[in-house]
Amino acid sequence: MLYAVAVFAPLLGSAIAGLFGRAIGDRAAQAVTILCMVLASICGVTAFVQLVYLGAPSGMVVLGDWVQAGSFHVSWALHYDTLSAVMVAMVTCVATLIHIYSVGYMSHDHSIARFFSYLSLFSFAMLMLVSADNLLQLFFGWEGVGLASYLLIGFWYDRPSACAAAMKAFIVNRVGDLGFAVGIALVFTLFGSIEFGSIFANVPAHMDATYHLLGHDWRAYEVVGILLFIGAMGKSAQIGLHVWLPDAMEGPTPVSALIHAATMVTAGVFLMARFSPVLDYAPGAMAFVTFIGATTALFAATVGCVQNDIKRVIAYSTCSQLGYMFVAAGVGAYQASIFHLLTHAFFKALLFLTAGSVIHAMSDEQDMRRMGGIWRLIPFTYAMMWIGNLALGGVFPFAGYFSKDAIVEAAWAAHTGIGQYGFWCTLIAAFLTAFYSWRLLIMTFHGTPRADHHVMQHVHESPPVMLVPLALLGVGAVVAGFVFRDQLIGADWQAFWGSSIQIAPGNHVLRDMEDLPAWVTLSPSVLGLLGIATAYLFYMIRPEIPPRLAAAFPAGYRFLLNKWYFDELYGVVLVAPFRALARLLWQVGDVTLIDGVPNGLAALTAGGSARVVRLQTGSIAVYAFSMLIGLVVLVSVFLLFLR
Amino acid sequence: MMNWSLAVPELVLACCGMAILLFGALMKRRETFHLASMLTIGAFLITAMLVIAGPHGLAYHGQFVADSFSGFVKLLVLAGSAFAVVASLDYNEHENLRRFEFPVLILFATVGMMLMASAVNLMTLYVGLELQSLSIYVLAAFARDQLRSSEAGLKYFVLGALASGLLLYGISLIYGFTGSMQFDQLARVLADPARVSPGLIVGIVFLVAGLAFKVSAVPFHMWTPDVYEGAPTPVTLLMGTSPKVAAMALLVRAMATPFGHLLGQWQQLIVLVSIASMLLGALAAIGQRNIKRLMAYSSIGHMGYVLIGLAAGTPAGIRGVLLYLVTYVFMSAGTFACILAMRRRGVMLEQIADLGGLGRRDPVLAMWLTVFMFSMAGIPPFSGFWAKYFIFTAAVQSGLWALAVIGVLTSVIGAYYYIRIIKVMYFDEPQEAFDPRPPSLSLLAAGSGLFTTLFFVFPAPFVGAAETAAKVLFG
Amino acid sequence: MLPVALSHYLVVAALLLVLGVFGIFLNRKNVIIMLMSVELILLAANLNLVAFSAVLQDLVGQVFVMFTLTVAAAEAAIGLAIVVIYFRNRGSIQVEDVNLMKG
Repeated sequence: MLYAVAVFAPLLGSAIAGLFGRAIGDRAAQAVTILCMVLASICGVTAFVQLVYLGAPSGMVVLGDWVQAGSFHVSWALHYDTLSAVMVAMVTCVATLIHIYSVGYMSHDHSIARFFSYLSLFSFAMLMLVSADNLLQLFFGWEGVGLASYLLIGFWYDRPSACAAAMKAFIVNRVGDLGFAVGIALVFTLFGSIEFGSIFANVPAHMDATYHLLGHDWRAYEVVGILLFIGAMGKSAQIGLHVWLPDAMEGPTPVSALIHAATMVTAGVFLMARFSPVLDYAPGAMAFVTFIGATTALFAATVGCVQNDIKRVIAYSTCSQLGYMFVAAGVGAYQASIFHLLTHAFFKALLFLTAGSVIHAMSDEQDMRRMGGIWRLIPFTYAMMWIGNLALGGVFPFAGYFSKDAIVEAAWAAHTGIGQYGFWCTLIAAFLTAFYSWRLLIMTFHGTPRADHHVMQHVHESPPVMLVPLALLGVGAVVAGFVFRDQLIGADWQAFWGSSIQIAPGNHVLRDMEDLPAWVTLSPSVLGLLGIATAYLFYMIRPEIPPRLAAAFPAGYRFLLNKWYFDELYGVVLVAPFRALARLLWQVGDVTLIDGVPNGLAALTAGGSARVVRLQTGSIAVYAFSMLIGLVVLVSVFLLFLR
Repeated sequence: MMNWSLAVPELVLACCGMAILLFGALMKRRETFHLASMLTIGAFLITAMLVIAGPHGLAYHGQFVADSFSGFVKLLVLAGSAFAVVASLDYNEHENLRRFEFPVLILFATVGMMLMASAVNLMTLYVGLELQSLSIYVLAAFARDQLRSSEAGLKYFVLGALASGLLLYGISLIYGFTGSMQFDQLARVLADPARVSPGLIVGIVFLVAGLAFKVSAVPFHMWTPDVYEGAPTPVTLLMGTSPKVAAMALLVRAMATPFGHLLGQWQQLIVLVSIASMLLGALAAIGQRNIKRLMAYSSIGHMGYVLIGLAAGTPAGIRGVLLYLVTYVFMSAGTFACILAMRRRGVMLEQIADLGGLGRRDPVLAMWLTVFMFSMAGIPPFSGFWAKYFIFTAAVQSGLWALAVIGVLTSVIGAYYYIRIIKVMYFDEPQEAFDPRPPSLSLLAAGSGLFTTLFFVFPAPFVGAAETAAKVLFG
Repeated sequence: MLPVALSHYLVVAALLLVLGVFGIFLNRKNVIIMLMSVELILLAANLNLVAFSAVLQDLVGQVFVMFTLTVAAAEAAIGLAIVVIYFRNRGSIQVEDVNLMKG
């Protein structure tokens, strides 16, 4: 029951704020949504504690029937197991803090009630996603998240760039969703059901099922795994479908925090973990997941090193960290991927909200080249940024250290070729992560002030309503690692996760992680510290090095600055042809045919109207005559039919 | 078998009419209009109760019948007439038509219409029809110092007289070729196909023509736009509601009872008239600027839809006819109530453009008018949709696919001009606000609007009553 | 002497009807002529009714004629009244002038 409240309270808040926001006013709308969120997080955390520590039975909460069509049965039901409970607790907590933070951040906006309504809707959709008991419900939440993200990214709809970003996010996600939808269909044909319980119970029965596709037989689990992962790639912004995530910065900063930390992008990782019972029998698909994840981790980290927009750097960092999570999932360490998801939620939300605080202080300036030298002015934000960076960079004992190291180790411990690829990619990315994090820190807070006089005079610490969530997230970013490490990925992980994560008998990644060469264990930390040192050297001691480097390798610099030319590539390969096709369909198909036919008919009708009315001359004689003609016609018709 | 108790509602109403007439004539004071109107409405109410409570059966040697069909129609007629009286209260006050004869004429017209609903004999039919027509001729020309009103009266009179002349001629032929004026005897005679002669056919067509004139079906519709436009608006409201109902009921009864055996023949006739009416109603209204004229064409189109139900020739079809008439009376009365509210600085307005920006100036009125327009266009969930639904399903059940398809197509065209009015109200340049609405019109608009909106919530009593009424005609 | 059969009555009545109808829509002059034409049509119907009544040995037709005559009288009265007020407003009862409203 608590669990259902945790899921539906945000919906209630959203509905009240959305439907009656205008009537009850912004204050009340804020209060209602935040109250609902607080309620949800209390219930969510309680449900989590009850399940994991107090031994409440897992199971499901059935809410009602949804679809009954032939053999296709779907009900509204909430899945109550450790995985869902962890996610619900995390989402509700982080979302609540972001709600509270938004009160301060959005205080100057014009449509506050709408913002909070969307925010709560977003949280609800994500909760629906993680608590789903079947694939259709998960898809409902999945699409709900997509919708809410569209609304929030395009929240400032009077900015063309925001609208474009919102559309981009929506469209790119459609590509992934197509794969996901096909995957759901395949699961149904394979298992005859889309409810998790019956799917996972029947995994051994369909081990050897195949699909005949493109002249070749493919193992069904591989196909399903790949399709589900394509869905996850879209939501979790993996390389190829990542292009929407950096643009999503157009939304207000709390939205970015919500997208990057608690909701939306983690959906893909969650899906992988949820489908661990199936995926663990699909080594091909898993290798693909690892490959994409590792590539993304490295790719996004390189791009992050040269970006100048503070939020954009953090966005690429998210992209990179998601890559880490997929590497973990790909090598079979689902526990580690969820562990990183959890810690990441705290420190990434922290980072975004601090960035928001900085932007707030700098009068909405986002370009780091026009910041600098403000650490004395906003010391609290500065401290929080340190905590976030330390966690992200993987410095002991901050949260990121535990989870990131676990992933790097898991990649090594997989003892496969692709695992090695993942290991090296994540290792290099660890160095780059530390580098760009401190680059961001130093450029933003240190050095000589590069903002103009006016802005500098206005620099001020944010109000307490924004700082308190920061502090709470900061605590999370510090402690989440060592508090949860042993439970989530320790030797007796099974006691924690129960049946929510099931692995194949041959999967010993977690056990092997305990027993690794020392250099493997140490290298992420060492490389992280090295990255920090490099950043310090480049931006603090010898600030002339980066420009000189850029000048020395202009092609490489531009390659990174333009994000590996993904947007341009898509522009040429996909967008331009589609635009041409759309233009053709618009001008020939739509304007000429679809509009032309009705317009022609309408013109015909109007002409007919004019002709009919012309008979109406106003003359009694004509009227009488028409009656007579009518009479004659009717008599003849009638006599005709008498025969 | 005089059995006059069956005709008590008509008798009472007629006596009330004469009493009010007497009272009005004897009163020395000038201001008798209001009182006479109130008394008329009271008389309508009493009559309605008598209709509900009254027994069923044949009276006056089989010339008059009281059954559930006539009861249904009479209640509807009384409602329409009452709406007209209510609508006239304020209008006549302002347009200097404060004369007590006005409600009395409506009352006598109503007596005629009730007679029509109960007619089972060609003679009753004719007398009822003439009583109704003569009263309405006068009403159309009631604004006697306005050229438009008198021209409307003149046109209506000349053409109406022609139509009733044709009807009478048709009756004479039917009488001559069958030897009877009783509906039931006619039905008995015509059960034998050998008795069907060309003379009789001509007679039937003339009869249909006379009645089609009253329901303004194409090609006997020509008077409608001119008379609707010229007549005082409450009279237009009246013409748009009760007489249509009564004449349609009469047509239905005449076609179904005495000529029921000839269904195969007259069906084509009705189909033809129906298609022509729907098409003309949809097409001709498009270019109209005067809203009363538009309503005239709209009513022609609606009668086309109603005729579909008659053409189906089944109980389901007749049930559709009755339900359509019910919703039509309310939609129509409501729309005219809105039109009557279009007054600016004491001057009545009739142009559609005058509604510009009404959505902002008077949102309540605009809302009701929107409801009526949507309903007339047949958009769910308003009553107009359900009316069309019943009619079209009946047509399809009888195999009249083409008719149903044309009906749907013309309603699409019709939707164009109905929705154009909504567009004018909400999107066009705001005009100066109208004068404050009198409560009588607000009441009328709100009442009809609520009925139109909520019909789908409680359709059962109406559908049930229509069902019973329709069954009566088929024995 | 030529016996007058039913058909003769019917033909006369039909002629009267046609005259009346034509009088309405061929007449371009005077509204009064229209009223007269209407009377002709009613007359045609009455003639029919009486003839049929006689042939059918049935009184109903003749009773009906009584009704019709009454109605015709009322109709004439009302028609004339309307013509009078029309003349008062328009100053003319020419048929071609009666076209203020059209379209």
